[in-house]
Amino acid sequence: MKQSRFDTQHENQWCPGCGNFGILSAMKQAFESQNLAPEDLLLVGGIGQAGKTPQYIQGNMLHGLHGRALAMATGVKIANHDLRVVVSAGDGDCYGEGGNHFLAAIRRNLDITLLVHNNQVYGLTKGQASPTTALGTVTKIQDNGTTSDPFNPVATALAAGASFVARGFSGNTDQLKDLIVNAMSHQGFAMIDIFQPCVSFNKINTHAWYKDRVYNLADTNHDPADLAQALNLALDQGTDKIPTGLIFQQEKKPFHRRLAPLQNQSLVTYPFNPKAITAILEQG
Amino acid sequence: MGHDITILIGGSAGQGIQTIGSLLSGICHKSGLFIFSYDDFQSRIRGGHSFHLLRISNQPLSAPNILPDILVAMDQNSYDQHHDRLTDRGVVLLNGKHPDDPKTAQTGSQGPTGAGRTLHLNLEELAKEAGGKIVANTVAAGAVAAILGTGFSLVRQEIAHQFGPRGEKIEKMNLSAAERGYEAGRDYPFDHALEFTGSGKDRVVMSGARAAALGALAADCRFFPFYPMSPGTPIITHLASFADQVPIVVEQAEDEIAAVNMAIGASFAGVRSLTATSGGGFSLMVEGLGLAGISETPIVIINAQRPGPATGLATRTAQADLLFAIHASQDEFPRFVFAPGSVLSAFHAVKKAVMLADKFQVPAIVLMDQYLVDSAMTEPKEFDLGDAHKPFLQTDAATAEAQVSQGETYQRYRFTKEGISPRIPPCTGAGLVRVAGNEHTVTGFPDENPETRNAMVDKRFAKLGAMKQAMAMPSVFSADSEFFLAGWGSTRGCIMEACLTLRQEGINVGWILFEDIWPLNKQALTDLLAHKKLVMVEGNATCQLGTLIHSVTGVDYVSCVRKYDGRPMYPAFIIEKVRQLQGVTQ
Repeated sequence: MKQSRFDTQHENQWCPGCGNFGILSAMKQAFESQNLAPEDLLLVGGIGQAGKTPQYIQGNMLHGLHGRALAMATGVKIANHDLRVVVSAGDGDCYGEGGNHFLAAIRRNLDITLLVHNNQVYGLTKGQASPTTALGTVTKIQDNGTTSDPFNPVATALAAGASFVARGFSGNTDQLKDLIVNAMSHQGFAMIDIFQPCVSFNKINTHAWYKDRVYNLADTNHDPADLAQALNLALDQGTDKIPTGLIFQQEKKPFHRRLAPLQNQSLVTYPFNPKAITAILEQG
Repeated sequence: MGHDITILIGGSAGQGIQTIGSLLSGICHKSGLFIFSYDDFQSRIRGGHSFHLLRISNQPLSAPNILPDILVAMDQNSYDQHHDRLTDRGVVLLNGKHPDDPKTAQTGSQGPTGAGRTLHLNLEELAKEAGGKIVANTVAAGAVAAILGTGFSLVRQEIAHQFGPRGEKIEKMNLSAAERGYEAGRDYPFDHALEFTGSGKDRVVMSGARAAALGALAADCRFFPFYPMSPGTPIITHLASFADQVPIVVEQAEDEIAAVNMAIGASFAGVRSLTATSGGGFSLMVEGLGLAGISETPIVIINAQRPGPATGLATRTAQADLLFAIHASQDEFPRFVFAPGSVLSAFHAVKKAVMLADKFQVPAIVLMDQYLVDSAMTEPKEFDLGDAHKPFLQTDAATAEAQVSQGETYQRYRFTKEGISPRIPPCTGAGLVRVAGNEHTVTGFPDENPETRNAMVDKRFAKLGAMKQAMAMPSVFSADSEFFLAGWGSTRGCIMEACLTLRQEGINVGWILFEDIWPLNKQALTDLLAHKKLVMVEGNATCQLGTLIHSVTGVDYVSCVRKYDGRPMYPAFIIEKVRQLQGVTQ
């Protein structure tokens, strides 16, 4: 991998061959291509292998609890909506433990970029089913096969009103880099669900398995402004093909524009106003 | 000499009994009297039975009274539930037709001015004459004002004050209702020694909820993520009412877990943040509390306690989360816990909690409860701005850049003698702010090295000495007493009143009252409590403060007065229990 100002000196703990490396590389390239500096970026992570991503990128970092990355990012953006926030979370982190925050962040149209590293398995806890694991998949815990239908993040995001929904594949870093750049320039909630192989625990959805199935929506006549088309794509379980690229995008007022005090400046930049507060205190 | 009157206004939810209370309290306050009011209600929006207690005095009050001199029963159920608690001089205003008189009448053997009499008033009928059944409560308020002999001009003034902003039509209807009530009540005076001739201009009537909200604003809290839960919600409701006057954001989170993590995110980004909840919501916030602890991110959580566990009694009061607040979260980290004992204290405690959380980069918990949140009392106008709003966060990145120029990277968790590392918000310059919930190095990178772990635990606890110094010692009254009533938080006023009454009876008792709870200063507290006999007075079943004192100082309590029925601690309850305990303590 070529050198980047976003490289850190810290040892990377991912398994060799992990799909996360492709995502990490695409992220750094996306930041470079926007001429960003590490101090311009706030990387927020949850817990899991994907949640570690901010540790491996030079930038500001907020690394919190399992499932809660979006809730923290919401607080960050309310305090200072000028910050450029990229959240990295896994399928378990974002769609399982953090499912409620996922829905709420979409509904708020929080102005952030969410990268969900979706390997359809729990990696850091060694191979249990995740919300996106296919029904009937055998794991060490689910040894007769999983018994829940898989969660459909793209269809759910569209139904909840997400304003930017894309799918990436860790094996196509060029496409992913472009998607991240677009997501970061989108005003509002931009989510990229990124398929990636887990070389240690997912023996079904391998790099080759994805390679055989992914195709680029940019090569089709898909219209990302068409919600019905996007939903059809998201809900189509009939084919064995996986569409990647921009699925849907619409303009929608981002969250901070919906809050009166944040119309002209961020909350953190207001000077303390002793006169106004004293007036309130005196009024009792 | 203090004189006081207690009015109990009972009815079903939706009958507007709080409006009766607030009209009467406004009248009394503006004529220079002191009030203490408390709401007792069920977890429902309509029906059932609720009551509002209003105590009025010509001396400052610090506690409610449950024994009414005037019982306003908006329905028969309220009469049935409370009339046997009437004082010897007590009178009743009962809504409904008297059996012998279709309009109004009074009953009771002692005539219109005697004790124990009941004035029957058909409030709905009178309200209809005034313009609508909805103002039946204002009719009642007018009648009580007449019984108290306030004079009608005070009533008119208060109606204008409370209903004027809602339009002329509403004000007129209420004024007409009050007039009818006043007319009906004027022949039934209640003999008392209070005078309605003073002025309350140096004082204010405020609820604990509002005081806490003002404390947060005075300390420059700007972000209030929350999830609705009784009895914490009123604090946030008050804050929301200021959103058009100052730049603040109140955000209803998707759950309490989101609320606490939002607070952490915003605080990390440089905005002081506070959330309010009750025990159930606080339970959900506990993992976040730990994140604030290890990441050294200041947040403030107000836990307005109610009886639990689980749903418990949703709209009732308790003091049973003390040990939970001190120990909540896995593993160990320094935190502050405060438990204000009055409305004014709630203001100062929240202000102090916000300031100290920011100074020491730790979480702070303020324990209130339904009783304190929903009680309103006359307080001196001492809700001063102070300097708690002054920031500790270095906003201009100078710290970071200075360090970078010395060839270092900004270290969010730089080791210092006090354990407090200079904190800057993210993205303010070359200094990269890296914060983690994992154990971490000085630059915030997760690290499992045992030396790093020890150093970081020690760094966090290095703050403890100065944190203890920032805590006020408990207040002690009559230090050479034979024994002491010891308590914490909202029961302060009740304990003080009970203590003073018991002393008038010749019992040699003092008090020891805690508001700054944690961290405790072990040596100072041990010295303070040495050779003192403690009778704990607490709103829980296991004497949690007594347990804490014993575990920290080795001083054990001799007895305890406990109340865990979900209802407030009244002075009379403590007095009765202490009398029973005399054999134990003497």
